[in-house]
Amino acid sequence: MAEAIAFYTLSILILGLGVAVITTPRTVHSVVFLVLNFLCVAVLYVVLRAEFLAVIQILVYAGGIVVLYLFVVMLVNLKRQPEEHQDPRRLAKIGLGLSGAMLVELAAIVVYSYSREPSSVTAPSPAFPVQGNVEQLGWLLYTDYLIPFEVASVLLLVAMVGAIILARREL
Amino acid sequence: MDSIEAYVPILLFVLVATGFALFTLIVSALVSSSKYNKVKLEPYECGIEPETDARDRYSVRYYLIAMLFVIFDVETVFMFPWAVIMDELALFGLIEMLVFIFILVLGYVYAWRKGALEWV
Amino acid sequence: MLEITPAHYTILSAALFSIGVIGVLVRRNIIIVFMAIELMLNAVNINLVAYAQQLQNLIGQVFVVFVIAVAAAEAAVGLGILLAFYRNKETVNIDEMNVMRW
Repeated sequence: MAEAIAFYTLSILILGLGVAVITTPRTVHSVVFLVLNFLCVAVLYVVLRAEFLAVIQILVYAGGIVVLYLFVVMLVNLKRQPEEHQDPRRLAKIGLGLSGAMLVELAAIVVYSYSREPSSVTAPSPAFPVQGNVEQLGWLLYTDYLIPFEVASVLLLVAMVGAIILARREL
Repeated sequence: MDSIEAYVPILLFVLVATGFALFTLIVSALVSSSKYNKVKLEPYECGIEPETDARDRYSVRYYLIAMLFVIFDVETVFMFPWAVIMDELALFGLIEMLVFIFILVLGYVYAWRKGALEWV
Repeated sequence: MLEITPAHYTILSAALFSIGVIGVLVRRNIIIVFMAIELMLNAVNINLVAYAQQLQNLIGQVFVVFVIAVAAAEAAVGLGILLAFYRNKETVNIDEMNVMRW
């Protein structure tokens, strides 16, 4: 019951804020809606018992990435409206139709696969020597997923070097 | 403490905080008088008269600092679960974390040498 | 209706993903297009977390950590490209980003 209330409230908030992000004419307002959207997704993670992910969602997404967006919006000080110019060959209506078709298709797949058999399958993770969400997640991350973890650091290094090179000319 | 009912106090806290902010804004909008003139509508810059438009271009340094913050933020996120289970992972965990930090220190040294951390 | 199954989360995720796709295909402001991509990444994350909960298997959550790391790297480099583009053309409209177009 509590989960149903939380799920429907959060769904409405997440989808409404998502629509607001892509429809607001002002970019700064869009960024603010994006922060609220990320916060609602973080609450949804709490409902799904993923506390650590809820924290890093707020820490990295709402606190870091969105700040980056905000600085870029203020850096890109536009003298004319960004969407003034329209490519005559652009087919926005077809894009909208295609997205709608994709939504219908995805929903059809979900409904079809769940109407055939009730899903009661579980594939529990192997026994952990530690207890708690953060501990078990860390155990998987630092034993089974050791290589992706080290590759992630290389990815972050490449991103840092690339972003410095791209932005450096004005330094 | 294993169901989401445990988070009800936090929900109440959020509702009270949001409600208080909204209440303050609405009541002050209703009660206050709204007579404006040109001087009153100027942006407040610590008492100094504003000289340029507020929507001026920012320096690209803001972007660089924010970008470095995000990258090292993610690094901290990766270090947090390690710190929690450091005892169980023992020496193996220490070595892999040292490799991870070494790779990111390379990026830090690069940013330092290129002057991305300087604020001239 | 009152029992929330992973199908509910999948439909929420599909709807959020579609909102992101609409944003990418219809809007022309690159910053908004980037934000729509972040929405799509979040939709995928919701799905992964929902199934990690359903299958009682934490691997889905580990993947979300990696997705967030990739999203941070993507935002850093993507917005760097955006700034380099803006420096050359004084615009953030995708339709004017056509030098490399066929």
